[in-house]
Amino acid sequence: MRPALTLLGSRAAQAALTAWLLATLCFGFIHALPGDMALRIAAARVGDERVTVETTERIRREEGLDRPLAVQYAAWLSRVATGDLGQSLVSRQPVRQEIAYHGRFTLGLGALGWLVSYLIALPLGIACGFAPGGWLDRVTTGIAVALASLPSFLVGIGLISVFALSLRWLPPAGYRTGAHMVLPALTLALGLAAFSVRIIRNAVVEVRGAFYMTFARIRGRSAASAFRHHGVRNAAIPVATFAALQFAYMVDGFVVVEMLFNYPGLGELLVKALLARDVPVVMGAGLVIGLVYAGVNLLADLACLALDPRQAARFPA
Amino acid sequence: MSGQAVSERIRTRAERGDRLKAGLALPLVLLAAVAGLALFGPLLSPHDPTAQDLLHALEGPSLAHPLGTDHVGRDVFARLAHGAGRSLGIALACVGAATGLGLGLGLIAAYAGRWSDMAIMRLADLMLAFPGILLALVISGFLGGGVLPMLIGIKLTLWPQFARMARAIAQGELKEPHVEAARLAGFPARTLLIRHVLPAVLRQTTTLATLGLGAAIMSISALGFLGLGLQPPTPEWGAMISELLPYISEAPVQMAAPCLAIFISVLGATLLGQVLSEPDSGQEAER
Repeated sequence: MRPALTLLGSRAAQAALTAWLLATLCFGFIHALPGDMALRIAAARVGDERVTVETTERIRREEGLDRPLAVQYAAWLSRVATGDLGQSLVSRQPVRQEIAYHGRFTLGLGALGWLVSYLIALPLGIACGFAPGGWLDRVTTGIAVALASLPSFLVGIGLISVFALSLRWLPPAGYRTGAHMVLPALTLALGLAAFSVRIIRNAVVEVRGAFYMTFARIRGRSAASAFRHHGVRNAAIPVATFAALQFAYMVDGFVVVEMLFNYPGLGELLVKALLARDVPVVMGAGLVIGLVYAGVNLLADLACLALDPRQAARFPA
Repeated sequence: MSGQAVSERIRTRAERGDRLKAGLALPLVLLAAVAGLALFGPLLSPHDPTAQDLLHALEGPSLAHPLGTDHVGRDVFARLAHGAGRSLGIALACVGAATGLGLGLGLIAAYAGRWSDMAIMRLADLMLAFPGILLALVISGFLGGGVLPMLIGIKLTLWPQFARMARAIAQGELKEPHVEAARLAGFPARTLLIRHVLPAVLRQTTTLATLGLGAAIMSISALGFLGLGLQPPTPEWGAMISELLPYISEAPVQMAAPCLAIFISVLGATLLGQVLSEPDSGQEAER
């Protein structure tokens, strides 16, 4: 229990640091931007042509942009700390509401993509690990390297042109039905599987060559039984660690994939907000992504701890 | 050692060298193709990459336009060739800047130790923990696209790996007798680090820099695709793809060209990085 608690503490610190950095970064950016902030907000709300001096001044007072910088920073931090992310400058909806709405879509897409990636990578990686250097291993490696060299939007465009435009099996973009999720999820999954299949393969190869496996065989276990009892758990450790690292790839992936497929998730929200300079939304979305990332890291650490009690030594209480 | 054993060793070393050369061929050809496109492409094409010609929009490949024209009648080959120089140039600049920053901070961390080591490595961890493109995205987005924000953003995502590697190697190197001797001879820290530690670090930098080049090309095109990279009408591969996306059925060749260009350059860099990172190959290449 102690190691788990230490871990929780260090991950919470990481999350808090990430949040503070993001909030400060966003604050810094808003004020480092050339030009008048109030004018930009006014332009975003009423349109470039209809901005007047009166609206600009009203917005400056409303948003507290006339106060000293340090006061604004303190107010900003305390608001963020209490979970008040403010309103979108464009839609005037609370940022929290926007994130909750778009977050659901991303969560669904991410979970599906992750699941599919392991449905592809696990059987393939294990099969390759049992026959390293064989034809399946070589073909898989080749495809994995090629896929890893493709930005996710290219994978997505390839899938769209084959399954949506040529075969007409699936819709190319949008989000109305479950069928709309297939191509974006597959795009994400292929990108993830390209990396995880190698990790799984290497983990299996390493475990199969390990001394404790030979010993289990000497004791009279069959190869399959030895792998089930001693191999799986050991091979799962690097895979679990890597699964968390993959979340970083997933963030890169879903921002691009959601834009490509016109899918209303967090990534799309983030990019549209960036294009519109909608700072509160950018910060909110960035904050949520950063915090979820810290959470995923914690889960992976806990999983490793459960799989491998030796690791408790890594986290002295 | 018997003569036979020596000849055996020489033979296997030669074989390994051959294998390395064979492994280098493909990535070098791929990268040379992209570099050739960047250097000579603009000379081969008489067209201005930003000149619109609406009467000849979305035309297929022809003698005048070898890769056809885009939705506003711009020559796709000219845009591809001009884009190649930009993508490669900016990617190299990103990697160069990240290498400089990473090696500098890594060496300082290794030499100074204590709290500066802690601070630098914590920062590196934090940056590594931060989903890569998000940072580049936010910086480019806020600063309004263009080369410099992109350079800053991508550099910031790449430097921690260089810092970690530099620190690890420098820590080992600082304990070496020849560095110790230089220290005792009274050379200042700067000389010690630059003359005696940096060369050892640089030997390992190539691999990381090559892999970083692939990552940078990918990030640049992804930012361009999202509309947060180089701003139109600048010819850039990712932006070309997103502009042509609505016309994908009418203009398959025009669409495939930038896709293939990105794929070839990233694949070239990735494969080169992999070949270089294989055990032995580093030393083999030096001999």
